[in-house]
Amino acid sequence: MTVRHTLLGLLANQPRYGYELRAAFTALAGGRENWEVTPAQIYTTLNRMLRSGLIQADDAPSSSSERQFFSITPQGITELKQWLESGDHSNPVQDTFYLKMMVSRDLPFADPARLISVQRSGLYRELHRVTRQRGQLDPSSDLARILLLDKAIMHLEADLRWLDMIEGRLAEINRQPAPEPELRPRGRPPRNMNNN
Amino acid sequence: MAIIEVNQLTKVYGSGDTAVKALDGVNLTIDAGKLVAVMGPSGCGKSTLLHLIGGLDRPTSGTVLIEGRDISRMKDDELTTLRRQKMGFIFQFFNLIPVLTAEENTALPLILDGVKQQKAAGIVAEWLGKNKLADRTHHRPDELSGGQQQRVAIARAMVSDPVIILADEPTGNLDTRSSDEIASSLRQLVTDYGRTVLMVTHDPRIAAYADRIIFLKDGRIVDDNLMDSEDPENSRKLKEKVEAL
Repeated sequence: MTVRHTLLGLLANQPRYGYELRAAFTALAGGRENWEVTPAQIYTTLNRMLRSGLIQADDAPSSSSERQFFSITPQGITELKQWLESGDHSNPVQDTFYLKMMVSRDLPFADPARLISVQRSGLYRELHRVTRQRGQLDPSSDLARILLLDKAIMHLEADLRWLDMIEGRLAEINRQPAPEPELRPRGRPPRNMNNN
Repeated sequence: MAIIEVNQLTKVYGSGDTAVKALDGVNLTIDAGKLVAVMGPSGCGKSTLLHLIGGLDRPTSGTVLIEGRDISRMKDDELTTLRRQKMGFIFQFFNLIPVLTAEENTALPLILDGVKQQKAAGIVAEWLGKNKLADRTHHRPDELSGGQQQRVAIARAMVSDPVIILADEPTGNLDTRSSDEIASSLRQLVTDYGRTVLMVTHDPRIAAYADRIIFLKDGRIVDDNLMDSEDPENSRKLKEKVEAL
């Protein structure tokens, strides 16, 4: 949904063609090294928006032009406004690493300490990558992207702190019972001999 | 090419029942021209490791080789000279002399090494300039910000043209912005001046500037990671590590 709405934002002021939209999205989102989006994704999204009436395909400005231009419709503008004014809901409580740790509790071949170590290495590598990128930017012209990278750095720092927390309490966690699945009775009650 | 090599390095403080094993048979090789961070919880031995590599303390057993020379058994005089010529030190609390100016603090290692006043002045001006302190040379430490003081410390560490710079929590006493500046400066010592920098830090943001991060726990290395797998030398090492598992 994010890609779709960002494309709408890019079309709000001027018509654009597919390749241009992909390049514009990438530049806006922080560069290819931070957000890679394939041509297929762009065109699929454009087609869906066409079908939903959020954008329209323009007539070619001249017969020699092979580029298909798209422009936003009034419905598209409404959709864009709604998206801009809705708060942002990322979901930190759904965490893949947490699930890995929980799954590994019952597996004889999984080593939670090693999982933590691997996760930590990955986080540091990403922190290194982002820090190096940030160091190459110019605050007088790239401030927006610097702020994006600052956000990444802060989140990575928090992730690393959380990892240290888990590591410190691993033994204690393992002593506690695993979460019990809630199984409610479903379907018809079993047939009773007396009660036909 | 290994500039620092540590073999079965052990340091025990105290004796008998109260003996504490700060380092437990550590093996480590550090190549020239890299920024390496050493991290770990309090008491893991990271500062001890730095002090032993810097010849500021002697191991209980094991060896420390600097450019192939075993410093762990060197006589005091020889060690002091080697330290002065080959190493620069940067500490958490700057360790500048309060009654001396930035210029005088920076010149100290050269004066102690018998370098002539005029020649020393040139080198001092060069390194203070590179650390953006040209307009602060006559300031005393209490007239400088934390970040500026640490930059004086960097200049001081560099005037004797060391091959290795050892930094113990260099940003521990600085705010975020100054910390980033100092980490950048340390990075520059590697990238622009080809030195080897070994820094102990507890701050992930600062460790992120390094090429390699070594994790210590209870006196042992528990993890050792190269940050940039795109570097062909790093890929080779990574491959060796994976094959060894």
